[in-house]
Amino acid sequence: MRLLIFLLLALPTLALAGDIRIGILAWLGEDTAQTQWQPLGEALSKSLPDHPIKLRYLDLHQLEAAIAAGEIDFVVTNPGHYVVLEARHGVTRIATQLIEPGQDSAHAVGSAVIVRAQRKDLETLDNLRGQRLAAVSPEAFGGYQVIWAELKRRNIDPENHDFLPLYTDYPMSRVIDAVRNGQADAGAIRSCLLEQLIREGSVNNDEFRVLSPQGSDSPCQSSSPAYPGWAFAAAKKTPEALSREVMIALLSLQRTDSVLHWGVPADYHPVHEMLRGLQIAPYDFLREHRLASQIHRYWPLGAAILVFMLLWLAYTLRVEVLVQRRTRELSAALSARDELEENIRTQQQQMEHLSRLSILGELSGTLAHELNQPLATIGNYAHSLTRRLNAGRLSNEAVAQAAGEIANESERAAQILESIRDFARKRVQPRERRNVVALTEESSRLFRGMLARAPDILLNNQLGDTPSDVEVDPLQIQQVLLNLLKNAVDAHRTAGDAGLPIRISLDRQGEQIRVSVRDHGIGLNEDARKHLFEPFFTTKPDGMGLGLSICKRIIEAHAGQLAAEQPSDGPGLSVSFTLPAACP
Amino acid sequence: MNRTESHAIIHVIDDEAPFRRSLIFLLESAGWLAKGHESGEAFLDHLPDFPVGGGCLVLDIRMPRISGLELQRRLLATASPWPIIFMTGHGDVDLAVQAMKDGAIDFLQKPFKDQVFLDTVERAVGISQERQQASQRCQDARHLLARLSPRESEVGRLLARGLSNKEIARELSISDNTVHVHRQHVMEKTGTGSAAELARLILRADPNGLD
Repeated sequence: MRLLIFLLLALPTLALAGDIRIGILAWLGEDTAQTQWQPLGEALSKSLPDHPIKLRYLDLHQLEAAIAAGEIDFVVTNPGHYVVLEARHGVTRIATQLIEPGQDSAHAVGSAVIVRAQRKDLETLDNLRGQRLAAVSPEAFGGYQVIWAELKRRNIDPENHDFLPLYTDYPMSRVIDAVRNGQADAGAIRSCLLEQLIREGSVNNDEFRVLSPQGSDSPCQSSSPAYPGWAFAAAKKTPEALSREVMIALLSLQRTDSVLHWGVPADYHPVHEMLRGLQIAPYDFLREHRLASQIHRYWPLGAAILVFMLLWLAYTLRVEVLVQRRTRELSAALSARDELEENIRTQQQQMEHLSRLSILGELSGTLAHELNQPLATIGNYAHSLTRRLNAGRLSNEAVAQAAGEIANESERAAQILESIRDFARKRVQPRERRNVVALTEESSRLFRGMLARAPDILLNNQLGDTPSDVEVDPLQIQQVLLNLLKNAVDAHRTAGDAGLPIRISLDRQGEQIRVSVRDHGIGLNEDARKHLFEPFFTTKPDGMGLGLSICKRIIEAHAGQLAAEQPSDGPGLSVSFTLPAACP
Repeated sequence: MNRTESHAIIHVIDDEAPFRRSLIFLLESAGWLAKGHESGEAFLDHLPDFPVGGGCLVLDIRMPRISGLELQRRLLATASPWPIIFMTGHGDVDLAVQAMKDGAIDFLQKPFKDQVFLDTVERAVGISQERQQASQRCQDARHLLARLSPRESEVGRLLARGLSNKEIARELSISDNTVHVHRQHVMEKTGTGSAAELARLILRADPNGLD
């Protein structure tokens, strides 16, 4: 170190013209500061005769503003503030103040928390929880931040309202006053201040106690670790040669006054760490993450994100609307399809029912085939037996074989008949009250749905306002209507024009409602009409003659009548049935 | 009746076992040798075992897997000698017509009278026997005609066409005498006594033999 200083001193003194402007933190007020720092100015003037020394006493904010404006070449300030200025304005420390003899530059500044001596309940910093703590300012390094960091390390944080800070502002003696008069339970002061005041006699030796005293090798009681002392720093634009000149001057000062105690620049890293832990300047951006001020810092990005999110939201909404619309369309299409399927299914069921009802017609083929086999088999055996008997070759074995087979086959035939009877067995269905007009329309629709090229069906409703409900098995009545419509189409086809419209008339016959189906075919002669409803009577080449006989049975079961007549108004046939009108 | 001695076998092919058995029972009552088969496949499987001694097939037109018509087609492909009688159910008339076109002897719609059935079978067996006899006669005739030398068969064919010796001699550019010698040999070798008999023999061997 000595060698270094010697070398520095040996360098030729640079003759730099111009003032040396030094800004000094006035933490106890400008007057006090002036008094305090005057010796430094004088000493430097002596050391650097080529440069008029201009001292300015400024508070924290003024000091920073002066640096930013380039109004000062050097700054003298507390460690915390130096770290801020270093970070924000690129100032470089050239010397660190030594406060008391016996301190090294790296461990000069600490903080002491004092309480009145009689407060026995307050022994350590931990006891500060829930207490009022006086301090000069939240920005005071030795006066507050050092203690704050120490308390935070113990999970006591004013930001969590673990204790109540009470800021007295400078001078720091106000903190002592606040503790003394009970405004605060404790007070944070720069370490060594208490000792200084005791020496000066303004504070009694036994009036205050220091909490959690540490650093026994230090001349002053402290509640915190010691940090480097005040910094003498050069502004960014200050020429390096000038900085070196001033530095040499500082280190060469005759240390007759506390403001003249300057040592080599200390490592301010612990200060950085401490301030970072507190998330205060210059590390206040760390806390801004949690604050609304973050928006200010990042507002262009935030705005971009916001715009993007709004666009995305709009897009999402648009997509959602489209999806919902498409979904509606799709579900409408699906339900339409379901409805169609349901219609088809219903029609198929009704068709099945229709064919079941006219089963005898359909069945006759199957019936003939099914019964033919056993009957033919039986016949064969019977004839064979006769032949063998006639030929005189009838053996007992042959008789036994034939008799056995005949018995089996007759049983089989009986089973076939039984199953057919089950099949055709009349359904027992409760009667329902139905509107005959609706029923007719429904049957017409069903009928038209069953045919590829269905003719028009014209409904002539002469019922007017009279009650038109009937109590029926709707499916059976539908079968009758379908049968009559089918016959009408067949009649038209026979006449050569299957596309002719069919007329259905509804009218009232006393208590009966009459439904007439009128075709314009070639009609039937009287004899044919007489036998029309008899089973197995048919005028169709491939007909079974069962449809109308079944219709007749159904209508009669409903206490109505089925009739066929020659229409008075032209060719064709009108087949009508009546049903008793239901009581209103 | 000694139909069993004719070695004719009536094959009844019907998937309905009771009915099939009743037909066999009926056929046996009429003195026929009858054999039942439950399906076309079963019949085809045993085909090589059956003697080709006349007889006929009684075939149900509707059967699972190989139908009656299909079986008929397969038998036609193998130049089977059996006449076929089809049995049809209700509404199978179209199928039956097709079967007739394909050479069936007859078709019977179930239920049929036993006498009609037996008559049809008898007729079918008769046709079968006729076919057999015709085949035999053809083979015999070919056997006789095979004895003739090329020149003799040439002379014989012209004889059968009714040409005189002179005409044959002119036709073949040989002498009358030579024709006479050939004629003698032809008559001797074929055992025929006249040009007309010779003509029948040639036609028996080949219906188109005199064209």
